[in-house]
Amino acid sequence: MDKKPLLQVRNLKTYFYTEDGIVKAVDGVDFEVYPGETLGIVGESGSGKSVTSLSILRLLDPNGEILEGSEIIFDGKNLMELSEDEMRKIRGNDIAMIFQEPMVALNPVFTVGEQIMEAILLHQDVSKNEARKMAIDMLRKVGIPEPEKRVDEYPHELSGGMRQRAMIAMALSCRPKLLIADEPTTALDVTIQAQILELMRELQKEYGMAIILITHDVGVIAENADRVVVMYGGMVMETADVKELFRETRHPYTWGLLNSIPRLDIEQERLYNIPGIVPDPLHFPPGCRFNTRCEFADERCRKEIPPLYEIKNGHFSRCFYYKKVEEAQKLKKAGESA
Amino acid sequence: MSEKRVLVKVDNLVKYFPIRAGVFKRIVAWVRAVDDVSFEIYEGETVGLVGESGCGKTTVGMTLLRLYEPTSGRIIVDNEDTTFYFMPKFKAKKYLQKTYIEKFKKEDPSSFTGIDKKYYDLYKELGESGFYNKLLSELNEKKSEFRKTMQIVFQDPYSSLNPRIRIKTIVSEGPVLHKVIKKSEVIDKVKAALEEVGIHGDHMYRFPHQFSGGQRQRIGIARSLLMNPKLIVADEAVAALDVSIRSQVINLMLDLQKKHNLTYLFISHDLSVIKYMSDRVIVMYLGKIVENASKKELFDEPLHPYTRALMSAIPVPNPDYKKKRIILKGDVPSPVNPPSGCRFHPRCPVAKEICSKEEPQLREVKPGHFVACHFPGSLK
Ligand SMILES: Nc1ncnc2c1ncn2[C@@H]1O[C@H](COP(=O)(O)OP(=O)(O)OP(=O)(O)O)[C@@H](O)[C@H]1O
Ligand SMILES: Nc1ncnc2c1ncn2[C@@H]1O[C@H](COP(=O)(O)OP(=O)(O)OP(=O)(O)O)[C@@H](O)[C@H]1O
Ligand code: SF4
Ligand code: SF4
Ligand SMILES: [Mg+2]
Ligand SMILES: [Mg+2]
Repeated sequence: MDKKPLLQVRNLKTYFYTEDGIVKAVDGVDFEVYPGETLGIVGESGSGKSVTSLSILRLLDPNGEILEGSEIIFDGKNLMELSEDEMRKIRGNDIAMIFQEPMVALNPVFTVGEQIMEAILLHQDVSKNEARKMAIDMLRKVGIPEPEKRVDEYPHELSGGMRQRAMIAMALSCRPKLLIADEPTTALDVTIQAQILELMRELQKEYGMAIILITHDVGVIAENADRVVVMYGGMVMETADVKELFRETRHPYTWGLLNSIPRLDIEQERLYNIPGIVPDPLHFPPGCRFNTRCEFADERCRKEIPPLYEIKNGHFSRCFYYKKVEEAQKLKKAGESA
Repeated sequence: MSEKRVLVKVDNLVKYFPIRAGVFKRIVAWVRAVDDVSFEIYEGETVGLVGESGCGKTTVGMTLLRLYEPTSGRIIVDNEDTTFYFMPKFKAKKYLQKTYIEKFKKEDPSSFTGIDKKYYDLYKELGESGFYNKLLSELNEKKSEFRKTMQIVFQDPYSSLNPRIRIKTIVSEGPVLHKVIKKSEVIDKVKAALEEVGIHGDHMYRFPHQFSGGQRQRIGIARSLLMNPKLIVADEAVAALDVSIRSQVINLMLDLQKKHNLTYLFISHDLSVIKYMSDRVIVMYLGKIVENASKKELFDEPLHPYTRALMSAIPVPNPDYKKKRIILKGDVPSPVNPPSGCRFHPRCPVAKEICSKEEPQLREVKPGHFVACHFPGSLK
């Protein structure tokens, strides 16, 4: 890729200090986001997706710490080195975030309009009247019917889908360069999810912002991401262009994940099972974190943490034996065409 | 294949919930959660029940299991009317009179089929009072039998198991209460049931919090299995589980079904899971069944516009897959004041004038393929 990345995350480590011990929630994560693209981050519960995004915005719980040596370079600036004041200017302005549950982000005692106006007034030099007009325009833009009326309503008066639209309106009102969307549609019905994802695609086309789309739904990733980061146990297991990831899978975890989901587009005999359970983050196994569930694991995997190998330009896999996945995929394809 | 036996037959099931307000908690409106729903479940099959949040799936399941009393309708299990089992006796008698005796006195007996015919013969043999006596006798035994044969596995593996009691008790208390197993057999039977769902038998002395979500769901299944059920209602049983754990539980449920010839009513909002699990699929929208067909029929040729839209809305985990996007407008309306005519008409991309005026009935448009739409197949 010849473009310069908008965001570079280098060796990000975020640990939480708890009574039971240290939770290595994010443990050496690397990825970049290019201007205007959608980077999907996919992984199961507890894999560190939300902590990664909260670390970018430096919005961690008090017991969490981003370790020395972690780098988050946004638009040329290392966010780790900014003061809290400077960081506040970035949040909501250059980088905006939307969450799974809009009720958490929206303040229940202020109207939707007041909240969008507040965001606009904080970051832009406009009058109150202008801000209100901009808020109404923004609500119209995200497909809220009768925006002149809705602008004066409280969050609880809106349906789940409408609330998510209002939150997107608020997030986009300052034209961020990067939007972080953490499970933005997980709490919604599928027909409403389809509306919201469509809206995000349209707004991205119009505003040209980059999106980090966090989800556990591989389908949402396939349909919306340009590039994908697969996380497991606080680490990146595989990164690739979306088509490449699905066609040329090179990590046993990604491979297992893709084969264990029921699908509408093909007939499936039997779903693949990744054996065992997700390891407890207080007790990750030594070596590769997937080694307790991996069918290719051997002695080496139980001792050493594999590096992120660059298999091809832009395609990375954290597995000593990524070639075995290639063979498994070839076999499967041969079986399917036979 | 041999003729399949109907295990459960639901006729015109209605469940309304009252909305109360004011100091006197007067009823001011009704939530029409399930509004005249009929379907059958054959022995050994999995019927998938799918639809969006609030369309009435859980209410169907809970009413079927009589954890809610139906507002009206009839629930036949194993060719016995079970509707009146949980009513007070005078109500039960009134129900039998209205449902059967009045009909038997009015209508031509040669037109009776199924349960009506069976009960008509009984009525002829025993007379009216003998008929009541027979059906209303041993209601406690009938209730107990019903509770045994109809089991449920819930969505939330965290709240559905009592945190203060050991797995052994959780799994065995129902079966002991209903005399499916003897007290002396508990340890052996619990061990066997746990091992069948992939949990170490020795873990029966642990508490629920010592297990992961997927393991708790397995324990819930073991508890149902030990009752020797005929029907298991699985209400979003895999929805809370991570992808890799979900496929384990799904495969387990399919294996157990084969082994024990179980019948499932599998409730889910996820059409992909429904497709993998089910033999037949029922699609609900706002308290109504809009489509009911075999899996193959439904996925090869969905005829209801809502089913089409739902399918198109499911994200497909294949970036090379080209699909038609149908984006529905608006939100799901409230079941308190459902739209007139076809309940889907305000969002339907192919609605015509008649749709807001006349309610489409569930019709069999092809053998075994039922659709409630004035223009089936019109949304391509
Ligand atoms: N404040 C905290 N204290 C201790 N542990 C924490 C804290 N916040 C997060 N964690 C732990 O960090 C790990 C990663 O959590 P994170 O929320 O990033 O997961 P996720 O991938 O977003 O999962 P989900 O899909 O469930 O949202 C988890 O094990 C979580 O329990
Ligand atoms: N006990 C109750 N009292 C009042 N209203 C209820 C009750 N249970 C359900 N409802 C209402 O009935 C309708 C149907 O609810 P139900 O839980 O059956 O839907 P569902 O299809 O299972 O939805 P979900 O996918 O969210 O589980 C909803 O509008 C719901 O709010
Ligand atoms: S490094 Fe070893 S254990 Fe880890 S994914 Fe690769 S083969 Fe499996
Ligand atoms: S009856 Fe009319 S509104 Fe309803 S689904 Fe059919 S075409 Fe659409
Ligand atoms: Mg999260
Ligand atoms: Mg439900």
